Amino acid sequence: MTITGTYIKYYKVCFRKLWLFHHKIEMEHNSELVAEGSFIGEKSYPQRAERYREMLIDGSKIDFYDPYNKVVHEIKKSDKLEHSHVAQVQFYLYLLWKNGVKGATGLIEYPKLRQTQTVTLAEEDISQVENWVSEIERIVESEQCPGRIAKSRCRSCSYFEFCYAEEE
Amino acid sequence: MYIILVYDFGQKRVGKMLKLCRRYLNWIQNSVFEGEMTEVQLKEMLHEAKRIMNEEQDSLILFKNRDQKWMDKQIVGIERQSTDDFL
Amino acid sequence: MKQTKYLMNPGRLSRQDHTLKFTPVDEAGNEGQPRFLPVEQVSDLYVFGSLDANSALYNFLGKEGIAVHFFDYYEHYTGSFMPREYLLAGKMQVEQTKHYTFPKKRIVLARAFVEGAATNILRVLKYYDNRKTGSLADAIATIEQLMASIPLVPDVPTLMGIEGNIRQIYYRCFDAILGETFCLDGRSKRPPQNELNAMISLGNMLCYSACLGMIYHTQLNPTISYLHEPGARRYSLALDMAEIFKPILIDRLIFRMVNKRQLQPSDFRMEVEGCLMKESARKRFVQEFDASLKETIKHRSLGRSVSYKHLIKLECYKLQRHLLGIDAYKPFKAWW
Repeated sequence: MTITGTYIKYYKVCFRKLWLFHHKIEMEHNSELVAEGSFIGEKSYPQRAERYREMLIDGSKIDFYDPYNKVVHEIKKSDKLEHSHVAQVQFYLYLLWKNGVKGATGLIEYPKLRQTQTVTLAEEDISQVENWVSEIERIVESEQCPGRIAKSRCRSCSYFEFCYAEEE
Repeated sequence: MYIILVYDFGQKRVGKMLKLCRRYLNWIQNSVFEGEMTEVQLKEMLHEAKRIMNEEQDSLILFKNRDQKWMDKQIVGIERQSTDDFL
Repeated sequence: MKQTKYLMNPGRLSRQDHTLKFTPVDEAGNEGQPRFLPVEQVSDLYVFGSLDANSALYNFLGKEGIAVHFFDYYEHYTGSFMPREYLLAGKMQVEQTKHYTFPKKRIVLARAFVEGAATNILRVLKYYDNRKTGSLADAIATIEQLMASIPLVPDVPTLMGIEGNIRQIYYRCFDAILGETFCLDGRSKRPPQNELNAMISLGNMLCYSACLGMIYHTQLNPTISYLHEPGARRYSLALDMAEIFKPILIDRLIFRMVNKRQLQPSDFRMEVEGCLMKESARKRFVQEFDASLKETIKHRSLGRSVSYKHLIKLECYKLQRHLLGIDAYKPFKAWW
């Protein structure tokens, strides 16, 4: 099984989302937030295409990698900093480390907030990432779809209606 | 979101702008379009429009409305083209 | 939300400059003023008039995920052009098949569809019973009795029998609800033998197409169904789901239009092949149908306003959750 950055991000947000995503039960593309996310990723930094590479490593796609400075760039549309973003970038750094690129760092950019966040991968983070990976495998291979999380955090999720459309 | 879009483009670029608008909105008369669209679609369309236009010479004006029902449309003279869903 | 476009008049639909162009063409072959349809805003197309189109157009519609539903001169549904599925999930397909193959799993879903249909039928009848001072009380009581037996039904054919009985009693109420202008005189299909049957046939096909259109935007396979036998029609899951929505979306629409005299006997024509709704009436009917799909209600568990069209989509989600073993499917029940 190939675990990608998206798996890590969803693992940090909601196990059910992770499970549904793994089984390819995705919401259609015209969902506003999803569409906006991909749009910012594609179009925000057209001038960067020259300097940065898109890189495929162990099946994971890193959108912007700067091979000279060994920096993974990740662009997020969100209007708040989230720990799932850090986890995702740490996972990329882990993949680089596993493939012999030591000492790479990450930089998360929030164009809406005009803020950036630096990410590093320390010795102790490596076993933590490995834990995430085995946890993810256990969750997605389970027959049972995991339960919901607190509704207040679900409203902006693209699966909100999928999870909460009910009869009384 | 309900949009009314008007543009005034140089002759060389006006054809491209017309074609772009036709993909997203209903043509109602020369250089004027209207219709429902999402925030993302608008962003997408403006992104394309900026690539077509010469920002020194061309202009593009948008009137945005939360909902069509807050807008009272009155036509005097002939309606060049209807915008309803029944053809 | 993207809109459905209805092509009521004959003409040619073509692809031009990455969007859609409709050129009306009259019987003598004269072209009218073309109209461009913004492709980004079109969800699907319903074609009633004769349509001239080429494969370049269908390739384009396929790429844009726009389905086309065709109706012939007699308002029969003749078929659909469905773009290639874009949301595929092996897991969903497997679970959907399992729930069909195992009779114990299948009957649970089949029962839910009949239960949903019956509840919504009762909702419609109770509303008119209030207005007609209790004249439908017997029918309501009988349907309630039949409904009570649904959970005990052992297999799908028996269930279909109960469903047939409920519908028969329901259709008998139509005459009481509608007064004397139109009478149903038994349900006749293909071709409908009178005005009311013509309305029901057209309405049911519109409802079926709306359900099919929504199923397409999920991972559900529209050919695997539970109440109707797969293969009863190409997209039999849409038939299952239409059962639930027909009373609310179609029958209410018919009652409203007839009682407000928006449809009159002069709007119909008897032909050898059956009863036919005249063009102007057909357009009014389809317009009213479209308006009711756009009507919104406040959804109770979501806490947001949703259109009737969107309710159909939510029904797909609930069905998916059932198939994935997340929670038991409860059919949509109108509460107003």
